[in-house]
Amino acid sequence: MLSHFLLMVLYALLVSLFFTLLWRRGRREQIQLFLQIFLGMVGGGLLVAWLMYPFPSGPPAPLLP
Amino acid sequence: MAESGSSPASPPESKAVAYPQGNVVVAVLSAWLVPGLGHIYLKRRLRGIAFFVLVIVSVLVGCRLQGNLYQVVRGQPLSILATLGSMGMGFPYFLLRYGLHYQGDIMGAGYEYGTAFLLTGGLMNLLLILDAWDIVRGKKE
Repeated sequence: MLSHFLLMVLYALLVSLFFTLLWRRGRREQIQLFLQIFLGMVGGGLLVAWLMYPFPSGPPAPLLP
Repeated sequence: MAESGSSPASPPESKAVAYPQGNVVVAVLSAWLVPGLGHIYLKRRLRGIAFFVLVIVSVLVGCRLQGNLYQVVRGQPLSILATLGSMGMGFPYFLLRYGLHYQGDIMGAGYEYGTAFLLTGGLMNLLLILDAWDIVRGKKE
């Protein structure tokens, strides 16, 4: 149903929405912070995955239901 | 210099200090028990509802993925911290643990993800408690 990538995106979405509502009031500042956190988390995750790519992998990750 | 507390006209002191925004004990307790309720009590209705939805969605996704709802494990001191973090979600923790007898599935494919979602829900609500505390004391809008 959900892939590992989609779960990462969902997690980043929840966390970035939460901190946006917690820390910013103005609409413009909210959008700015949301994009910073969301893209930072998703992009950072992909970057780390890319950096780890050459390393030997373990057994394949199980498929999510 | 006369302090306001020593003036005969000042109201008697109580542990539950009432600030202009509301009662600090009620705000903090309600914020802990039900995610977002502290903000609703402090007349931040929309924000409170949004926080409620975010925390509950996080918890529900965590349960759907069969994540671990932490509890204290003897000999593992870090489990105390994780349990406190999870308990931060308030009523949902006790409902899941004692009402629905929820237990994660360590063999489940989404176990680690689910654990992260559940713990995050608790930690989010802990931040909401601090936010309600700041609002009630007038340190935050």
